[in-house]
Amino acid sequence: MMAFPRLSALARPLVPWLVPLLLLAVWQAATQSGFVSSRIAPAPSAVAASAYALLISGELLHHLWSSFQRASIGFLIGGGLGFALGLLSGSIRSFELLFDTTVQMIRNVPHLALIPLVILWFGIDETGKLFLVALGVLFPVYLNTFHGIRAVDKGLIEMGKSYGLGPIGIFTQVILPGALPSILVGVRFALGFTWLTLIVSETIAASSGIGYMAMNAREFFQTDVVVVAILLYALLGKVADLAARWLEQRLLRWNPAYA
Amino acid sequence: MYSPSTRPQPTDLDSNSTPDASSGVAVSVAALQKSFGARRVLHDLDLTIRPGEFLAIVGHSGCGKSTLLRLLANLDPASSGSILLDGTPVARQQEDLRLMFQDARLLPWKSVWANVTLGLKGSRADLRRQALEALNSVGLAERADDWPGQLSGGQRQRVALARALIHKPRLLLLDEPLGALDALTRIEMQGLIERLWLRHGFTAVLVTHDVTEAVALADRVILIEDGAITLDQPVALARPRERGEPAFADLEQTVLNRVLRQDHQAAPVTPPAQPTRQQRGDASLSAAQWAAYPSL
Repeated sequence: MMAFPRLSALARPLVPWLVPLLLLAVWQAATQSGFVSSRIAPAPSAVAASAYALLISGELLHHLWSSFQRASIGFLIGGGLGFALGLLSGSIRSFELLFDTTVQMIRNVPHLALIPLVILWFGIDETGKLFLVALGVLFPVYLNTFHGIRAVDKGLIEMGKSYGLGPIGIFTQVILPGALPSILVGVRFALGFTWLTLIVSETIAASSGIGYMAMNAREFFQTDVVVVAILLYALLGKVADLAARWLEQRLLRWNPAYA
Repeated sequence: MYSPSTRPQPTDLDSNSTPDASSGVAVSVAALQKSFGARRVLHDLDLTIRPGEFLAIVGHSGCGKSTLLRLLANLDPASSGSILLDGTPVARQQEDLRLMFQDARLLPWKSVWANVTLGLKGSRADLRRQALEALNSVGLAERADDWPGQLSGGQRQRVALARALIHKPRLLLLDEPLGALDALTRIEMQGLIERLWLRHGFTAVLVTHDVTEAVALADRVILIEDGAITLDQPVALARPRERGEPAFADLEQTVLNRVLRQDHQAAPVTPPAQPTRQQRGDASLSAAQWAAYPSL
């Protein structure tokens, strides 16, 4: 049965936003009445006002852009490496034997534990943050690519061979598309790790970016700016998730689970 | 493993040319042996199949019939002995044979028509035209743009049949392709396979559990027991065959009795060395084969 059957098709998409709106209203009422100090939680209206001010001054876009750049470059480097290593380990037994244990050992070190070392190596430069993001992204992509390739139905590979596909045809027409659902799961995990890593590394050592903006605002007790930064992270995370979903729906049209 | 085909690409599946002996390949198997480790699955097997003949292989699970088909399809190497197609070793005659598996093995990420043209080269429009012709011959042209996941089990096997026939094979190997289908779909599929075989004149080898199916389709039924042929029964019934006819029923009963007789003698026939391995049957055998297959 359809949820909220009496609502029109236009009104139904608004349903998921009812709870957030209600929370906002309660929040606004609590701060305006003085029940909650504005230093602890600024009113939503104050947050909106400071977001607007930051937008007008260009500061917001400046920080947003540097965070976005770090996220995407780090993601491409780490994801690319993880994908390549996963392909090699998944397809070539001797490569797996040689490298998999090493990768699994490194994987089990929380990459954020490397922050002190990364600061010593790279200072508070861009390289350190890219390094951390790439490291955080590498393992989910590696693992899921590896398992995706291993899980491809051996019967389909055998069929492909007996129907005249060469090694390249087997790889591009059977193995890669068969591993794709799993690879995309890895990509979604990796996107989550990207933002997590970025938040932490930007709040510890940075001279630009949303995390830097938040830490700077904290020093001056600008709670409203801190909240703006947090909301921006939420928004960016949502955008990344939408992109991953779009990819899944496009690439996995054949799969009834995504259609 | 594959050399480029020297034969012209097939174009017209629906040509009404009368089948002649040259469209089927002659198969000659001599002193064929196959062992998996210490377990011997086929011993000294000799078999000759005439061009255009429809041969059915029946037998209990684990008797070696599927192994024989995999050797004929060149999926596994023989331990010793030879398999010749028109006098040439099977390893060099890949383009002449196509295999239909027990499960359809369609690629779920390719549309039905793209599955049918798997392994063919040519322009997209030309491939699609060929696929539609092949699908038309199995009655599924209207599903060409669907995903395999949207088809029923019987429809998937019909697509697999079209995919095999588009290559104009001179030897079609069928590994219990109808085993997983319901009874009605199975009878329809048997009719379809028979019609296409009559039209194209390829040599057909069908492995099946179903004695009725074997008698309905084959020119000759052989029984494999413990890796050797123990019955070679011609089926001299006129086509199309009616399952209810007395001659059909008699023959079916003869073969069935012969197949079942093994049960009463099973204990003395089984080699005493490792009886438990002997009884594990087809499933464990194919598991061993998969384990032996690296992923690339």
